[in-house]
Amino acid sequence: MAQQLLNAIFIGSIYALFAVGYTLVFGILDILNLAHSAVFMLGAALTYSLVVNHGQSFWVACVLGVAAAAIMGLVIEHVCLRPLRRRRAPPIAALISTIGLALIIVAAVEQGLPGTFFAWLWVDGANSVSFPPGVVPNPTWYVAGLTLEASKVAIIPISILLMLVLGYVMRYTQVGRGLRAVAENPRAAQLMGLDVDRMISLTLVISSALGGLAGILFGVSMTDISPYIGRDYVEVRGLAVIVLGGMGSIPGAVAGGYLLGLIEVIALLVLGSNARAGVAFAALFLMLVLRPQGLFGVPLRGKV
Amino acid sequence: MKGARLVSFLIGAVIVTACGSTTTGGGAYSGKAIKLGAILSITGPGGVYGPQSRDGMKLAVKQINAAGGVNGATIQLTINDDASLKPQAAQLAQTLIQGEQDLALLGPTLSNSAVAAHPLAESLKTPILAVSTTGIHIVPDCNWSVTSPDTTPCKFVFRDSLGEETAIPDNIQSYVADAHPKTGVLLVASDDKFSSDGGQIVQSTVGKYSINLLKVIKFLKAEDVTPYVTQAVQLNPDVIFITSLGAIPSKIMIEARKENWKGQFLGGNGFNTSTVSGAAGASGMGARSASAWYLGNTFPSNAEFVAAYKAQYNRDPDQFAAQGYTAIKILADAAQRANLTFSNLATDRDKLRAAMESVSIQSPLGPFQFTSTHDVKQTVWIIAMNGAGGFTLVHEIKAS
Repeated sequence: MAQQLLNAIFIGSIYALFAVGYTLVFGILDILNLAHSAVFMLGAALTYSLVVNHGQSFWVACVLGVAAAAIMGLVIEHVCLRPLRRRRAPPIAALISTIGLALIIVAAVEQGLPGTFFAWLWVDGANSVSFPPGVVPNPTWYVAGLTLEASKVAIIPISILLMLVLGYVMRYTQVGRGLRAVAENPRAAQLMGLDVDRMISLTLVISSALGGLAGILFGVSMTDISPYIGRDYVEVRGLAVIVLGGMGSIPGAVAGGYLLGLIEVIALLVLGSNARAGVAFAALFLMLVLRPQGLFGVPLRGKV
Repeated sequence: MKGARLVSFLIGAVIVTACGSTTTGGGAYSGKAIKLGAILSITGPGGVYGPQSRDGMKLAVKQINAAGGVNGATIQLTINDDASLKPQAAQLAQTLIQGEQDLALLGPTLSNSAVAAHPLAESLKTPILAVSTTGIHIVPDCNWSVTSPDTTPCKFVFRDSLGEETAIPDNIQSYVADAHPKTGVLLVASDDKFSSDGGQIVQSTVGKYSINLLKVIKFLKAEDVTPYVTQAVQLNPDVIFITSLGAIPSKIMIEARKENWKGQFLGGNGFNTSTVSGAAGASGMGARSASAWYLGNTFPSNAEFVAAYKAQYNRDPDQFAAQGYTAIKILADAAQRANLTFSNLATDRDKLRAAMESVSIQSPLGPFQFTSTHDVKQTVWIIAMNGAGGFTLVHEIKAS
């Protein structure tokens, strides 16, 4: 039971970190950025590739992987969101355009094979790979019958620290106040002299960097890096997390991530493996019916 | 003089007969093209198998065409990616049969996709040769389904891949003889036909060998497997049976070893590629499965195949490459003997089907013939992962 609870906390941390990026964009822009799962995958894939195919150290590769994910945030803004915003397109158009970009990114990575155009990025096609042993310092401890793997244990403080920093930035810094102003009323923020486009770009950069980092942590701890990890593991669950926690709420995303991890594991233990996914999404359904604003009870619009 | 003519005639007849047993050019099909369409999972979860099948097929096509083709006709092979999706496999099958007017199809990679594509090929009377599908009811009853169990034999569906109904029991029997395990846990992906068929076969086999199956743990492929593995490991079984495809088996092995479990992994066809063995690494060392092919098998055709493959791709082939290569050789042999018209496609497809039933060739899989139910009858190789992306031979079970 204790090992399973640890499993829940490990995977919950990944869900939380991923969902914070999701909810940040939703809170500011009222848009679901469905390319976020592709950025999650890209962070992991690029980091792996830099280490294994380009001979970089793991730590350098991590920095470059997060930086590349952050740049993808700018791509999302400039390709998928800003042109539509200029034309006052409805939020559904932005949602669809981000789905399109996600499909393109996944397709590009899965075409990456030796000798192809994308070989610089990825050479394993549709395959799932993991970091070779020894590349990432990852000792395993056995304490009181529990298996504690360094990469998984490290996820917890890293996730919590990053989310605390983000919470501080949003609440107490000039940038955070600017972002919250844009979330509240972009037009008014613009009239007050804020560069709204710049603020939105910054939101996408922060969100995508967090998504990329979550992908790297997932790839290291779950020993699974493939073009499909974003789509298969976190895309829909990330949505469930932000609904559970409260759309647009950063503390809500954190709590929702851990809650979903716990619900999944408890369902597995109590009701069996068949029920795991079903119970998690039943909880989501119940939340939507009984408390549509999510656990943290913030209004659905304009809070980050 | 008459004697000299008779000798000349006999020598000529021997040469013609000898040429007839291989694929050579300058024959009745000169200038024609034999169009074949392969439906493979190049991307998606089946992407760990499809590319190897593709490479084996392309090598065989290259060799045959370079040697003059099939009675002078060149083989034109198209590789079509179904992205591991059942609807896409069915759509491709229809396009290749009705749009592209291919003579025959190969694939799909996954059993889950075959249940959509094969009945379509059967209804459109087009030969289809499965190269990697090992699930139940692939041959001969391709129209079988849970809701309407139709056991009518399908005439146009063949496979050169070893069915799990043979492979999994052989593997379990072999391990029981070696290690006498008492308990097991089954980890089975419940969301695809190949995996769930494999799970069903494990459950129906273990009882024969007095293995107590402590738990059957079902999971979906798009989930973190860690809690399932923890659940299995905490029961401390002698054996963990894994029936799943793609990257899942290697993830399970890695996680179970991290949790300090020391028992034996037994699996199915999903283990049998260097991709999975490589991903599992040291955690997979000793994991056993039954395979249709083994790199070091001593069949003469295998040595030629392995050498040609390495020269072409600069790496060792795996089982899926060997089966893809063999499939093209089977179709070429059948086409050579089918007396194709190249003017009436329906007739040619039926002639090819009839000729496939009497195929008898030497292949990397060994001497190859189809059974009366269009299945493969061949040697089974019990192999174990070597911890470095390859396999070692444990046992050889001759075809009975």
